[in-house]
Amino acid sequence: MAIDEKTAAKLTDLLAAGESVETLYQELRSSFEAEKAAVSNQEQFKHLRDRWLGRKNGLLASTNDNWLKAAPRELKRDVGRLQNETKARLEASLAELKEKIDSSIDAGEKLDVTLPGPAREIGARHPVRMVLEEMLYIFRGLGYSVAEGPEIESFYYNFEALGFPKDHPAVDEMDTIFVTDQMLLRTHTSPIQVRIMESRKPPLRYAVAGKVYRHDAPDSTHSPMFHQLEIFAVGENVTFRDLKGTLDHFLKKFFGPDIKTRFRPSFFPFTEPSAEVDITCIFCAGRGCRICKQTGFIEVLGCGMIDPEVFRHVGYDPDRYSGFAAGIGLDRFALLKYDIDDIQILFQGDVRFLRQFR
Amino acid sequence: MRILLSWLQEFVDIPEYPDGLAHELTMAGMAVDAVIEEQGETILEFDITSNRPDAMNHLGMAREIASIFQRPLRLPKTDVLEAEPAASSKASIEIADPDLCPRYSGRVVLGVEVKPSPDWIRRRLELCGVRSINNIADLTNYVLLEVGHPTHAFDLDLLDESKIIVRRAKAGEVLRTLDGVDRTLSSDHLVIADAMRAVALAGVMGGLECEISDSTQNVLIESAWFDPGSIRRTSRYFGMHTEASHRFERGADREATVFAADRIAGMLSQVSAGTVLRGCLDAHPQPHTPRNVLLRSGAIERLLGLAVPAEEVERILRALGFGIAPNTGGWEVKVPSYRLDVNREVDVIEEVARVYGYDQFAPKLPALGVPAEPAPLSEEETRLRNIARALGYNETIAYSFISTEEAEEFGAWPAVRLRNPVSELWDVMRNTAVPPMLKALEWNLNRNESSVRLVEIGRLYRSEDSGFQEPPVLTLGATGLARPRTFSEPGKPYDFYEFKADLAQFLTAFEIHQLSFEARELPPYYAAGRAARVVADGSVVAYLGELDPKLAASRKLRQPVFIAEVQLDRLYKLGFRRPQHRALSRVPAVSRDFSLLVPEGVAFEEVRAAVGRHPELTALEPVEIFSGAQVPEGRYSLLLRATWQRSAESFTDDEVNRHAEQIIQDLRKKLGVELRS
Repeated sequence: MAIDEKTAAKLTDLLAAGESVETLYQELRSSFEAEKAAVSNQEQFKHLRDRWLGRKNGLLASTNDNWLKAAPRELKRDVGRLQNETKARLEASLAELKEKIDSSIDAGEKLDVTLPGPAREIGARHPVRMVLEEMLYIFRGLGYSVAEGPEIESFYYNFEALGFPKDHPAVDEMDTIFVTDQMLLRTHTSPIQVRIMESRKPPLRYAVAGKVYRHDAPDSTHSPMFHQLEIFAVGENVTFRDLKGTLDHFLKKFFGPDIKTRFRPSFFPFTEPSAEVDITCIFCAGRGCRICKQTGFIEVLGCGMIDPEVFRHVGYDPDRYSGFAAGIGLDRFALLKYDIDDIQILFQGDVRFLRQFR
Repeated sequence: MRILLSWLQEFVDIPEYPDGLAHELTMAGMAVDAVIEEQGETILEFDITSNRPDAMNHLGMAREIASIFQRPLRLPKTDVLEAEPAASSKASIEIADPDLCPRYSGRVVLGVEVKPSPDWIRRRLELCGVRSINNIADLTNYVLLEVGHPTHAFDLDLLDESKIIVRRAKAGEVLRTLDGVDRTLSSDHLVIADAMRAVALAGVMGGLECEISDSTQNVLIESAWFDPGSIRRTSRYFGMHTEASHRFERGADREATVFAADRIAGMLSQVSAGTVLRGCLDAHPQPHTPRNVLLRSGAIERLLGLAVPAEEVERILRALGFGIAPNTGGWEVKVPSYRLDVNREVDVIEEVARVYGYDQFAPKLPALGVPAEPAPLSEEETRLRNIARALGYNETIAYSFISTEEAEEFGAWPAVRLRNPVSELWDVMRNTAVPPMLKALEWNLNRNESSVRLVEIGRLYRSEDSGFQEPPVLTLGATGLARPRTFSEPGKPYDFYEFKADLAQFLTAFEIHQLSFEARELPPYYAAGRAARVVADGSVVAYLGELDPKLAASRKLRQPVFIAEVQLDRLYKLGFRRPQHRALSRVPAVSRDFSLLVPEGVAFEEVRAAVGRHPELTALEPVEIFSGAQVPEGRYSLLLRATWQRSAESFTDDEVNRHAEQIIQDLRKKLGVELRS
């Protein structure tokens, strides 16, 4: 008679058939041990546990009902003890088995963690874009609003309103690409100063970026299209010292706190006084190298106090308001910051180049 | 421009080392590009800004040095040993157009001996990059380099009636200039003429006929002042850029004409044994009145943020040649005639600032002003850039120029034409971003980069009645593997669906109620059947698909290439989707699969439309599509999965059955779809 049948039979019947209580429980335990020996995974374990200790239909639940509850009064005590002992033993045995199986799972599926996964690589930001975003971040921190302007611009905004004298070499120096007599591709972002001032009253601070164009044949340092960020501020009591402080702050944030800035007098028709700004060479820390031509300085941008002539064009009172402006070449800054030696590579879409900026 | 240190020393003492001098000059706005040693001479190479023609010579630079280092300036000698008769008896000057030539001075020198210049003159000219010609011509160049005033020497005997007439050229008048070119003139051009004909293009170049030659005996030295605008227009018209025009168009010194003529005459009598006739001819119909500028005492501090001591202001301006007299509330500043760039108070302030030293003005940060505003579309663009990055698209920037041919092949409207393009291949502003994207893909494929994803966010350009428009456009280009190959998987190449899925990610950023992909009215460069236009709330917002294989082959693109053009201006009009939370459902969703036989030609979009919208129908997905073997002719098999969910209550079997039955009914009635048995 198999163990399942025995557990399903009443104890009294089994005794009548010549079984003894001791032997029955012994048989029960050895059957469990035999089944347990064949268990090697979670699924089998669960099956074994439910088969033996299941609350309703487990084999020990059966012996509780069929053997213990049906035991003659004089045997009740012994059967009760054996039933409890057996249950405790099975539970301990199962706990031990579970531990063994759990640990054997961990040991099971071992991977070569050095193999690569099927990554879809994230895209790269364009270095000019990275430079611009970093700059806008700095200028937003200084309270600058951000705006945009048209690339096909009028002669008036690009030159006249900025105080470029007609028939003056300064216009030629801009190497303009014309669309019509009066319309052209903006040669700098400065026209936006006039456009914004025309429609707003001081105080104002703006940072405006975009593409600008010059009639230059492309080579490693020239491009007929490049990018500028124009920053300007107008208000009462805005001075040359504010211009210096603002650009000094910006350049140190951008290139690092160790650089020094230097302001040299220069000439732009739309600022007076005007300055070129140099920083100590970031490649040799100002000691002198090939890139700074042994001067220890590199020229990074042009700036100045907004010319009263510009204010006149937009109807601001130059005796009340003053302001400053600076034009920053984004491509040049990208070349400097990332040590790129050819401006053309910025516009080729070469993924070998772009991927480096992920 | 080259300046010799030894020449400068004639006008100002320079004890400094050349590098220190170069630094100080640079910091005062006279940028020294290089310090060169050549033939034992120290040469400073300057880059002088166009507003400072007065500094483009040795005397002018010496004046700068004198003001920076607080030293006296020595002017060159202009003593002339004169002889009778009066110059006016041998030559005459008449200015017919004083608006273009307000002053014309001249010296007459007789009995010159034309020969090579003395070595010291030749040497200085050559070190400054000027070719030596003969002693007469060399002197005009020498004085140009020395004091900055352009002059010219005529062979007096070749001037008809010994007469100089400064006048506008006659239409069609021809002048052969020194370079041997015949110039056909018009009344826009000012000439120097004798009684008969034009003999020089005023302020630009002399004429060949009256040039100084070996046989020249008598000379007329011209020292004039011409209107800068007129010189510039003339030199630009003829494409002639000379030392003279360079200075005249930037503005020469009107008060220096006699000074320069005398300087030449004085030297000429020494180097060529000529006799200088008495008196300097000087036609000056409109004498020049010096400009006065008021410099208010508080103006410097107001603009620069620091008060420069009054004595420094006065010292600097005097050293630069300005007259300065105290005035109520400031100074009356008299501007020297050579400073055409100084007209206003602010110009005077700059002079003070640059010589006083920009370093003197300590940097400070201005107080916070007004609240900052973001750019109108910067948030939107950042969102799109983030999506592109997440999808693995590398951002590129392409030139805004394309060729006429490209514009016609790919553009949707006539391109804006450039009048003076940089290259014939870049002669219009782009009306399409496709050609640059194709070029970039091609560039990468040619460099063995076979899997490429590029995105460009830029502008297109169009001309409209109202002006020029610059609509923003987002362009995607993809080729090669959409999902990478690994040690265990083969990788998945881009196909229309992979690419469409990428584009769809961008569209989810926008508030779109009705979105459809339609395979019609596509630009011809897309592969028919593998491209679509995207219609969002009734407007076409994008095209996407595979590039026409024939076109791809002609461009030597050896693998399928996918392009999408997204018209951002139209999407921006729809607005960005603003995420809004909806409570999560507490009950599970239920799904039901339908195995359908769909008539061929019925698009999935139509199936979706036939099922319609139902608030509790949360998804309708194609799980499997196939045709062939067990599928009847004229139909394809579609395994469609519908999913329903509501927030609180579970669906009963009855409800789901009713919904399912409705779907089957709709598909059958509207599209003739049958249930697979």
